[in-house]
Amino acid sequence: MKEILRVEDLNVTYQTKSKSIYAVRNAAFTINQGDSMGVVGESGSGKSTLAMAVLRLHDEKYTEITGRAVFDEDRDLISMSQTDMDELRWKEISVVFQRAMNSLSPVHRIRQQVEDIYRIHEPKASREEIRERMISLLKLVNLPERVYDLYPHEMSGGMLQRTAIAISLLHNPKLIVFDEATTALDVVTQGQILKEIVEMEKTLNMTRIMITHDMSVVAESCNKIAVMYAGELLETGMVKDIFKKPCHPYTQGLIKSFPALKGGHHGKLTSIPGNLPDLSVSCKGCIFADRCDRAEKKCFEEKPSYKAMQNGRNVACHFAEEM
Amino acid sequence: MSEKPYVSVENISKWYPYKGDKLINHEKKFIKANDDINLSIQKGEILGVIGESGCGKSTLGKLLTRLETPTAGDCLINGVSTKELIKNDMKAFRRSVQIIFQNPFDTFTPRDTIEQILLRPLKNHNIGNSKEERRKLCIERLEEGGLVPGEDIMKRYPHELSGGQLQRISIIRAMLLDPEFIVADEPVSMLDVSVRAEIINMLLDLAKLHNTAVMFISHDIALTRYISDNIAVMYLGKVVEYGKADEVVNNPGHPYTKALISNCASIDPDDEREEISITGEPPTPLDPGPGCYFAPRCFMACEKCLKEYPDKKNLSDTHWITCMNAE
Repeated sequence: MKEILRVEDLNVTYQTKSKSIYAVRNAAFTINQGDSMGVVGESGSGKSTLAMAVLRLHDEKYTEITGRAVFDEDRDLISMSQTDMDELRWKEISVVFQRAMNSLSPVHRIRQQVEDIYRIHEPKASREEIRERMISLLKLVNLPERVYDLYPHEMSGGMLQRTAIAISLLHNPKLIVFDEATTALDVVTQGQILKEIVEMEKTLNMTRIMITHDMSVVAESCNKIAVMYAGELLETGMVKDIFKKPCHPYTQGLIKSFPALKGGHHGKLTSIPGNLPDLSVSCKGCIFADRCDRAEKKCFEEKPSYKAMQNGRNVACHFAEEM
Repeated sequence: MSEKPYVSVENISKWYPYKGDKLINHEKKFIKANDDINLSIQKGEILGVIGESGCGKSTLGKLLTRLETPTAGDCLINGVSTKELIKNDMKAFRRSVQIIFQNPFDTFTPRDTIEQILLRPLKNHNIGNSKEERRKLCIERLEEGGLVPGEDIMKRYPHELSGGQLQRISIIRAMLLDPEFIVADEPVSMLDVSVRAEIINMLLDLAKLHNTAVMFISHDIALTRYISDNIAVMYLGKVVEYGKADEVVNNPGHPYTKALISNCASIDPDDEREEISITGEPPTPLDPGPGCYFAPRCFMACEKCLKEYPDKKNLSDTHWITCMNAE
């Protein structure tokens, strides 16, 4: 299978006046064509930072990004200039943000916004051509044609989110990043949109990164998962394996804190006590050791390296095999 | 039900007047946020209320705590009409009914310390003889709720605490006056996954410990099933299904509940569910029509559904729906 994105040893550091915050440390994962990877974690765990680094959307004056993110087997997104990056944006990589109501301009009709975006890469495109393209995409996300001539305020949240997804598909990108794209939506609308996304993927063979804090969204719509905690990827692998038998204590905790929809009760819900560690100090041992109930002396002293397990799973825990 | 319900909601309605096109159209219109709702909660019972956004869940919560005045109907607590209670003794009502809101960052005055926030209701309701006694009670309750050391927490300002801690204080504050009935309006939807379980378990334990009736409003079906004894499903201001939590989730009767559950994301990737899609957005509660409100989006609607609102139908002793086609 063709590799779409390979991230190696990615570090993102935010510089503030008094200190540096190590927001993402040593992240590594691979996404193949047709994959959908869910990135989950608590708020503040660096999920969005990771995605924004790959998209190069950070303010580079205050952010230091090191490592490699190889896109489409030959281009490194991290060392690329912003001008080259602009060539890729929308065309090969696009992004859908959490609140579409804020990511669309309120004073322009959808039509005007779509035309602007379309002409970035095809300046000579005619209005009819763009209209045709957008309307075929609107159909894909189950929206009526009239949406094309509306202002954002004339639509509901679900419609706007669908429109944003349709816009992200304008140039048929190879990779789409959904940054909490369904979080602000209603249960029913979220369910519908997730189904539509999965359907679309099958027809368009697109690749997707799904950033979310909701484990059930990942279970529902992704085939790969990366569990992030305090800037580190603790466990990556296939959704099926990880939900069945989580090998990292943090993943176990996350899964246990969600009640099951069907079947018998799986006992009392448990939470993970404690808070995220301070990201401005580097940690000697395992980053999760403070909150881990099975942490031993070794965990505080030695950083666990990734253990490769079956089906391409990687776990950063000293006791991964025993879980 | 043989036992007399502790909290009983009787035909409660809230209609908001609609000002829209008044110049052209002189007919008075109403948005029926809540329409003729009947529910009952036993002592120590947790009733979950689920539904899409805009279905009137929160309005119901506000009506029961009298933050909104109902257009019609009343809510009885232990056989006493809250309407009368409010007329006679506002303080007694506030003591017996409390609400927990969604966003813990907005519920506290940012300028007051937790101590000031917690002592105020105690003082207003003349609980405890001296400040020291009240303080002691607060610290006791804080530590009971897992906020240790209570002494230290009392000195903090809301911005110094995390969302999870604040929401716990919000629950503790609601429980301070030993209310008989608590409305929890989406208490965990703003919180992080890792602390959600903690808050839910705390609410569950406190409700059982003090034998309080709780109405838990949420859009998270899995969570509501976990915490509730009974579940009421709302659609456009009406309760369309009511029953034991497991019964409603595992064996939904109303097509809306079926669709809601089929669209809800599940934590189990192997979970196979019936695929039911609802098309379109919910219609406005302005004029939902004479028939079943859900009929225009329903997959099993027939002509009759569009003409008259279905009657209550019992599926079992504890489970009812309002749908004429479901069996």
